[in-house]
Amino acid sequence: MIDLVVVGAGPAGLGAAIAAAEHGLQVCVVDEFVKPGGRLLGQLHEEPDGKWVNGIEEAQKLYSRAIELGVNILCGVSVYDLQKVDHGWCVYTTDEMIESKCLLLATGASETPIPIPGWTLPGVMSIGAAQVMGNVHRVKPGEKAIIIGVNVLSVAIARELQLCGVHVESILLPQPGILAGDAAQPEKMMESLLRLSHLAPSPLIRMGGKWVSPKLGARLFPKNGFKMWGIPIQLRKTALEIYGENQVEGVRIAEVSASGDVLPGTEKTVSADFVCIAGGLTPMSELASVAGCSFCYVPELGGHVPLHNEFMQTNLAGLYVAGNITGVESAKVARAQGKVAGLSVARVLKALTYGGNEKLHSAVEEVKETRKNALIQFQPGIEEARRELYGKFDETHKKTLISI
Amino acid sequence: MNEESTVVCRCEEITLKEIQGTIEKFNCSSREVKLRTRAGMGSCGGRTCRSTIDRLVEQMGGPVISNEVPLSYRPPVRPVSFGILGGAKE
Amino acid sequence: MNSMRVEHHPVLGDLENQKEIKIYFDGQEYTAHEGDTIASALLASGIRTLRLHEDKATPRGIYCNIGHCFECRVRVNGKNTVRACLTPVENHMQIESGTPLSASFIKGGTL
Ligand SMILES: Cc1cc2nc3c(=O)[nH]c(=O)nc-3n(C[C@H](O)[C@H](O)[C@H](O)COP(=O)(O)OP(=O)(O)OC[C@H]3O[C@@H](n4cnc5c(N)ncnc54)[C@H](O)[C@@H]3O)c2cc1C
Ligand code: FES
Repeated sequence: MIDLVVVGAGPAGLGAAIAAAEHGLQVCVVDEFVKPGGRLLGQLHEEPDGKWVNGIEEAQKLYSRAIELGVNILCGVSVYDLQKVDHGWCVYTTDEMIESKCLLLATGASETPIPIPGWTLPGVMSIGAAQVMGNVHRVKPGEKAIIIGVNVLSVAIARELQLCGVHVESILLPQPGILAGDAAQPEKMMESLLRLSHLAPSPLIRMGGKWVSPKLGARLFPKNGFKMWGIPIQLRKTALEIYGENQVEGVRIAEVSASGDVLPGTEKTVSADFVCIAGGLTPMSELASVAGCSFCYVPELGGHVPLHNEFMQTNLAGLYVAGNITGVESAKVARAQGKVAGLSVARVLKALTYGGNEKLHSAVEEVKETRKNALIQFQPGIEEARRELYGKFDETHKKTLISI
Repeated sequence: MNEESTVVCRCEEITLKEIQGTIEKFNCSSREVKLRTRAGMGSCGGRTCRSTIDRLVEQMGGPVISNEVPLSYRPPVRPVSFGILGGAKE
Repeated sequence: MNSMRVEHHPVLGDLENQKEIKIYFDGQEYTAHEGDTIASALLASGIRTLRLHEDKATPRGIYCNIGHCFECRVRVNGKNTVRACLTPVENHMQIESGTPLSASFIKGGTL
């Protein structure tokens, strides 16, 4: 039985593996993707000082450090089941069964789809799929893109596609109706975009930036949209249908009012050879659910998250969570959470020597600090929602866990 | 094409109309929608369409989304061959 | 055909020393780069359709590209339900697209 199995080699999983291995623990990381790094691999961010952060390089650094510390990393291996056993966990993978004293789930997030007429046609993909295709595999998903869904992720990835040499024709809203919900509301989407204003100051601040209410912003919003990096963002246009015989040929679009109603007589078709759907992210909780964790529904964190505390412990002994499975945030926050989880495991397995408590507490502070400075805020109110969640955990489970 | 005929569950090709019809007729939960229509029972284990189904059920007057995961996940969370389930290496 | 490759990138740099290998999709030969997934190799050759839906025979390609949706499932060297987006190519790999189940099979008849 080894000390720790980590499911997911993203920033959270690798961060945890490093922290645990630095304290002498024997760690194995399992990931079904072809390379270690998780979703960090596809990311490219321009810092406010104009410097680019390349996710592939960041992932490589984490990977090298983990290997240096003797962490065993298995890629291309899926975990399909878990079981609590005496003094630990049993992890079933497509490669072999692994037993460990502690188990960390760092499985990240998945994309929320928006069903749209025609979305099963080849050439329609999630926005993240296009990001991975271009930045990780270095293949253009097509020559000309239309992106349906206006949010922080779709705008950031539109820019990345542009850097890959793709022409992004337009970013627009899904068709209003029961399937798209808020994602078809110009006002709601304006609110989401305003959280990006520090990334692209000029057009959004001209539009109103932080001091104009989203409602007003959506009403003032020019019918033809505005451009960010030359890409038209059209909060007043909607995608009615994706069309094509055997694969995507284009999108039928129409104009909408500020409150999201389709304006009759404004329909037209726009050609494209691929379409991306951007419905946002939600924590991927399947393994935690199989394990039998308690859950909480927290919209600020992206949906259902396993109930956990500041030290990344769940309500089940020896089971930890870190990264986007605990709520959708940026890769840096995920990494910082991973470190907390790794130290937390080391602490429980009595591998944290003197100064251990301080280390753990300063890692917790580091998470908060990183969150405060994050470039992308996926949702407002993350810090408050987390405080409430941790409070709830302490109320119900404090006594049953090994104290920290 | 209109919204009604939009495919919600890609794996089993179940449309919005079928799902809405089922919710209306049986006034049911996400779990029951799944059992009655097969939406969410395909290869992906419902990973893709479950959030849409939960939302449809809530919006149409069914149970509101609570702390419990409405469509619980069951192992295996990835399709695996009988050989692997029997302990063989891939 | 390599026009879909992102050979040059202002931040990520140039693609260098790509080793070419051969793969087969439904019997047809294609060139792939070592390190490609099946999905990226086929897309680089302009192929988007990986299967026809088992029941409805509608064409399907990748959707999530990270292993979540199973839309990209193909048959590889005789093995079913392999996710093209998560599987690295190998020289002479035999890949078959998914096809609709025959009517008799769906109805429970024998083949
Ligand atoms: C498509 C997509 C695009 C994103 N783009 C951005 C972006 O541009 N900027 C940004 O700030 N954030 C982005 N994010 C958010 C992203 O989740 C975080 O930035 C960060 O990568 C989260 O780290 P993590 O370690 O929690 O999870 P991840 O980085 O997602 O890593 C989780 C890993 O777990 C593995 N895994 C999951 N389930 C299993 C299983 N059953 N068996 C084996 N392995 C498994 C996955 O293969 C994956 O590699 C994106 C998220 C997604 C889903
Ligand atoms: S494209 Fe979704 S699993 Fe491969």
